[in-house]
Amino acid sequence: MTALKKCSLLLILLVINFPAALFAQSIHIPPHEKVVFKNGLTVLLLEKRGVPIVNFAALVKTGGAADPPGQEGLASVTAQLLRKGTQKRTAQQFAADSDFTGGSVEADASADFSTVAGEFLNKDLARGLDLFSDALLHPIFPQAEVDKLLAQSLDGVRAAKDEVRSVLGTYYDAYLFNGNGYGRTSDGDEISLTKIRGDAIVKFYETYYAPGNIILAVAGDFQTADMKKKLEEVFGQWPSKPVTPVKIPVLPPVKGKKLLLVDKPDATQTYFAIGNVATAAGDPDRVAVRLVNTVFGGRFTSLLNEALRVESGLTYGAISAFDPRKAPGPFGIYSYTKNESTVQAIDMALQVLQKLHKQGITGDELASAKSYIKGQFPPSLETSKQLAQIIAINEFYGLDDREINDLEARLDAVTPAIAQQVIQKHFPTDNLVFTLIGKRSDIAAGVQKYAEKQDARVLSEPGFWPPPAQK
Amino acid sequence: MKKNWLRSATFAMVCVASLSSAGRPAVAQEFPVAERTLKNGMKVLVQSDHSIPNVSLYIFYRIGSRNERPGTTGISHFFEHMMFNGAKKYGPGELDKVMEANGGSNNAYTSQNVTVYQDWFPRSAMPLIFDIEADRIRNLSFDPQKIESERGVVASERRSSVDNDNGGLLDEQLWATAFIAHPYQWPVLGWMSDIEHWTIDDLKRHFAMGYSPSNATMVVVGDVTPEEIFQICEKTIEPIPSHAPPPPVTTVEPPQLGERRLVVHKPAELPLLMIAYHVPPTNHPDFYAINILRTILFQGESSRMYQRLVDKDQIALDVSSSVEPAFDPTIAIIIAQPKQGIDPLKCETAIYEELERVKLSTITDQELEKAKNIRLMEFYHQVRTINGRANTIGTYEVFDGDYKKLFDAAKNYAAVTKEDVQRVAKTYFGANNRTVASLLPENEEKAKQ
Repeated sequence: MTALKKCSLLLILLVINFPAALFAQSIHIPPHEKVVFKNGLTVLLLEKRGVPIVNFAALVKTGGAADPPGQEGLASVTAQLLRKGTQKRTAQQFAADSDFTGGSVEADASADFSTVAGEFLNKDLARGLDLFSDALLHPIFPQAEVDKLLAQSLDGVRAAKDEVRSVLGTYYDAYLFNGNGYGRTSDGDEISLTKIRGDAIVKFYETYYAPGNIILAVAGDFQTADMKKKLEEVFGQWPSKPVTPVKIPVLPPVKGKKLLLVDKPDATQTYFAIGNVATAAGDPDRVAVRLVNTVFGGRFTSLLNEALRVESGLTYGAISAFDPRKAPGPFGIYSYTKNESTVQAIDMALQVLQKLHKQGITGDELASAKSYIKGQFPPSLETSKQLAQIIAINEFYGLDDREINDLEARLDAVTPAIAQQVIQKHFPTDNLVFTLIGKRSDIAAGVQKYAEKQDARVLSEPGFWPPPAQK
Repeated sequence: MKKNWLRSATFAMVCVASLSSAGRPAVAQEFPVAERTLKNGMKVLVQSDHSIPNVSLYIFYRIGSRNERPGTTGISHFFEHMMFNGAKKYGPGELDKVMEANGGSNNAYTSQNVTVYQDWFPRSAMPLIFDIEADRIRNLSFDPQKIESERGVVASERRSSVDNDNGGLLDEQLWATAFIAHPYQWPVLGWMSDIEHWTIDDLKRHFAMGYSPSNATMVVVGDVTPEEIFQICEKTIEPIPSHAPPPPVTTVEPPQLGERRLVVHKPAELPLLMIAYHVPPTNHPDFYAINILRTILFQGESSRMYQRLVDKDQIALDVSSSVEPAFDPTIAIIIAQPKQGIDPLKCETAIYEELERVKLSTITDQELEKAKNIRLMEFYHQVRTINGRANTIGTYEVFDGDYKKLFDAAKNYAAVTKEDVQRVAKTYFGANNRTVASLLPENEEKAKQ
């Protein structure tokens, strides 16, 4: 039982977000090699010594965005089932073989892509590579395992609703994008998960798990030439086939204001998210956006946290975050406060946002944020697991090593004037989407003023947004 | 305390042998740790690693909620928050601002046993970090206004992690029921009414009780040399005078003589089940066998409990176990997340059957070797980052009395036999020694009526 000083809670919402660089000594991603096999498989190899571990990360360039409407969760369920039965192992045998090494094979999907990750001690490399490739190449999706996983996923959504902070982001994204594009949850909901059939899973796998649609990053304790040979042996014969990329709808920011209040009758605290559709992963302003957001809501001494926590004690934490993806993703302010201070805390968050627009940020604040990002960056490149993920994701988004190697220079180039432009362009003011989860009877009247368009749901009702009947 | 006058700078070369019992050559992982005890009694451990230009600094104070009294429960944790709210040189809000402007960040955590402060920073910020740490240990200020606003922050933390979190709520009730005498019975966050009522004098007393340098251990890992850390400590930390450590916690939890049960009724989507068994403290020799047992029962999808409850019977979404590091006899907790509509009793029965199975016949060689491999991988997970290494070195030093035990862990796990595992299952995981907590969804109960 431990209790923390800081808001680790809301940071759950932005796991993938923040790589960052350093000081006198400049930051570089370790050298790595890229090979494209004849069948189209892109392979990235990065040697990293230290602990005797090898990490594999296969990024399949298709994720939840490809789920057919009404079958949200299909990409995720497909990924999770890869190790639940293959041509040579039952689900139980796979788990036993994998656990025996102390290593792991894990898979899941986000909206943009699916991932299969393997981790093994280098003494178990042969066995590990056999397991990892078995999952990727030879899954058979036994019906009993499909049924089991779908039932578990369904209860997983319900369990998440019992922990409000873990579903705030899901409701917010759903409402922000009105159930389209990134508004469709890639974990699925209580209804969509009942609509997924075994043949749809097989079809998803057969359509998208093709070498030309996969980036395979390997990082850790190995010799590149040797690893390349091993991978060629295992994946070289995987037949290539054409994959049509899934188009992710580019949705414009919401015009005007709207508010969704999700009722949780026993809540003692209101959880809220405020923002709009913002930037995509390759946005040319991304470094300046990160810098300004660090000042605004991306660290403990941010303007938001200073106001809502440090100065007033209204909350344990207030943050803001961009979640850039293939298409423009959400920007949000996220916090929570006791029922009685709901309006006070939201008013305060909006004032901080207004102030950012009116006053911009100072030279000192900018300098501090630059130091902060540079100083906190190196630990994000410390393990082979992190490195495998970073090089795979950068490759996917079409970002090269300069993303990391030039970060310091790019940060240094951001002036207060550029910061001001970025604030006007990427931080919303008058067009705002509000999502609140809390005790309706206590807070509904107070929050009327934020938007003319008001929507309502009850936490225990299935789905997120829109309500199932309107789908 | 003036006992530790001697200044030792031992340099321990340590070796971690691979646990593989398949006769392969042992994989050695070496990292040297330098140690020195300052004149004021604070022990400093340093491990150089120049792979990234950063440093992780941990200060472990041997004070936590076990040192509290009814009426002021949660004060250790509240005090931890106050350590960020201003001292003499760095006033309210200054500490975080200066640290972040220099590329650093910080956090802290409080448990029943310890309060731990963490700084993560680029090498260039090192002098500043030591200046800040010395300032707040020596000259912490108690601003009444800050205390009031921080009270609100902690209340919000409690609302989030207890009131609006079924797991947090049930966990709190479980400890409060499993312990009737020992201070582990109250929550680290404190009861809400205590949070609302403690005073500035309570805080001052807590500081005086727990924050002597001799009651702390500092661990520094990263782009530093032991010599420079010892030098900077001599200047900044060593002059801070020591005083008496907290009085020993003398209350011993009496043996539990029969099962205890509790139920929480609450609006919820799913029920929840927790079962606690009293087990010895972290430094007890049975610690390793208990961990091997827990690994075989709970870790990975091939574990016995997962196979039974999640895979075969399909009555639970998840089943796991935990034991936190502890100075005093503590509890091992089993957590099962029953599926919707499943009576937690059903999960309970399956768990007891699996526990009985381990008691009746020994585990297999294959299972034992698997558990050791899993523990080896965990070890590498703990030491692969400078942050993980700082935390691990400090945890062993504080809870096992010597950081070098970290490097014996592999050996100690390797020595565990199938019979040891069976013995600890019989000794600790019996009906009379357990406390069972269930959370039942109110809505579901109403629907049944």
